[in-house]
Amino acid sequence: MAALTLVNVTKSFGKTDVIKGVDLEVQTGEFCVFVGPSGCGKSTLLRMIAGLEDVSSGEVMINGARVNDVAPAKREIAMVFQSYALYPHLTVRDNMGLALKQAGQSKAAVAKSVDHAAAMLALEPLLARRPSELSGGQRQRVAIGRAIVRTPKLFLFDEPLSNLDAALRVATRIEIAKLHRDLDATMIYVTHDQIEAMTLADRIVVLRDGRVEQVGAPMDLYNDPDNTFVAGFIGSPMMNFLHAGALGMRSATMGVRPEHLAISRTAGQIEGTVSHVEKLGGETLVYINTATQGLLTVRLFGEHDYRVDETVQLTPEAARAFHFDAAGLRLR
Amino acid sequence: MFPRPIQQAPRASRIAYQVALPVALLLWLLPLLGVAMTSVRPASDLAQGNYFGMPSYLAFENYADVFRNSPIAHYILNSFKVTIPTVIGCLVLSCMTGFALAIYKFRSNLLVFFLFVAGNFVPFQILMVPVRDLTLSLGLYNSTLGLALFHIAFQTGFCTLFMRNFIKALPFELIEAARVEGVSEVRIFWFIVLPLMRPAIAALSVLIFTFIWNDYFWATVLTTSAETQPVTAGLNSLNGQWVAAWHLVSAGSIIAALPPVVMFFAMQKHFIAGLTLGAVK
Repeated sequence: MAALTLVNVTKSFGKTDVIKGVDLEVQTGEFCVFVGPSGCGKSTLLRMIAGLEDVSSGEVMINGARVNDVAPAKREIAMVFQSYALYPHLTVRDNMGLALKQAGQSKAAVAKSVDHAAAMLALEPLLARRPSELSGGQRQRVAIGRAIVRTPKLFLFDEPLSNLDAALRVATRIEIAKLHRDLDATMIYVTHDQIEAMTLADRIVVLRDGRVEQVGAPMDLYNDPDNTFVAGFIGSPMMNFLHAGALGMRSATMGVRPEHLAISRTAGQIEGTVSHVEKLGGETLVYINTATQGLLTVRLFGEHDYRVDETVQLTPEAARAFHFDAAGLRLR
Repeated sequence: MFPRPIQQAPRASRIAYQVALPVALLLWLLPLLGVAMTSVRPASDLAQGNYFGMPSYLAFENYADVFRNSPIAHYILNSFKVTIPTVIGCLVLSCMTGFALAIYKFRSNLLVFFLFVAGNFVPFQILMVPVRDLTLSLGLYNSTLGLALFHIAFQTGFCTLFMRNFIKALPFELIEAARVEGVSEVRIFWFIVLPLMRPAIAALSVLIFTFIWNDYFWATVLTTSAETQPVTAGLNSLNGQWVAAWHLVSAGSIIAALPPVVMFFAMQKHFIAGLTLGAVK
């Protein structure tokens, strides 16, 4: 059954259309990630699902029931905010147990649920502390714990990791993935970070300017993008877009991922000079200025020595290139 | 850094500062010192015209006399009967109005808010006659209840402004988080917002307490007898047409000035900064 269905959902703030008609179905138990650049409306869409923003037109359905006019409190959802939004005057235990207490559960039942959730997130030593006595990562874990205590129908995450440092982000990402497996819950996760989207999602929804660009499994989007936007957004470093005409192709644009662009000192199709080299140990990224194709990125595995201003030749791997028409749509 | 600490100022400014500060302080406290001196001056000094010199002896019996010879205990009781209900009434109302105006978006929100604010700009003297007539026709004239009700009505405007702005400054995600969690609006108010308003409630209660306790204007307009007059109006009636008992008025004034001071120290521990620390990044 569909845990969440959006039918031609729109949202306008005054005359500004933020969401311009979104159709989506999220299956029970699925991990669905909304990804897109800032301002694409992904957070607004999430807030509409939560009921924190009104829907201008269209339908939002949770477990088959229309919830357009249902208050957030009655939607049986849990949301994790980017800013954590912990109650500063309550201890971790009370933060996690507040909703259950308000729902009229007995003290013992609340304590049991909180202990269970705390055990899953290794929060037991922190239960007596207040939010001000916690680090950023601990606060975000408490916020996640507060969400899972209630076993809701739907989990909503609004960029939960963007306030954490890089190492903590990876650790918490793994924790969320594990949580999804353990709880077998439906989760909707908003992020601008395509790596988070790729690593967590069962299905990714790529949004741009309030519209869905493409929906699919991470590898489907990576291997079979519908348009230049999705092709450029998914995958890091970004795909190279070449003027296909200059290379004797019939399409308007040819997309080649950095790892599919061969670099040579002797022969190749495109000549250019090295403008910058990034050595990451496991891989080397070479940025090349070309006269005909602009700045291109080449990704090499292992360590390679290229000097800045060195002249090199590039050859795209034709079999793995993507072709797009003048409007940016994929030619298959 | 600006302003620069006075220690880093040139020598001349430092000396001027060190001289001017005590002088200014003394000037500022002079009326209070005068009242304190008069309160321990025997009546005979005043009769002989010794108003500002050293008292001939310290007449602490003035403090006992003011209780013995005047209904000051009753006046103070009346003051409490007016002030405490006013503080409670204003805080209860303004916490609720402030919450509604800060949290809910509705069409006339700003208009209602401005009405509360605009009420503060009405000079209260022009209300004197209509308010007197109103309390008279309601049967509340010359009663502590009437005075308290009027103060509640008039102070709630300012309190609403104060509370609304305080709640508006709280992280709104807290309310959204509670809503998503299924906490009802009334419970959000009670369990989330109210505990975070503690510093505002403490500050406002001291402010309103002091303001109402010290009110003289409405006390004289709306109350007339010793049974109902608060201490500010009551003290004045110690000075009759023929006798001026300034030493007793002064002793009474010092006593009357104490409750607001006590109130301040009682509420002091609630003036806490950073109560919302850790709520949001």
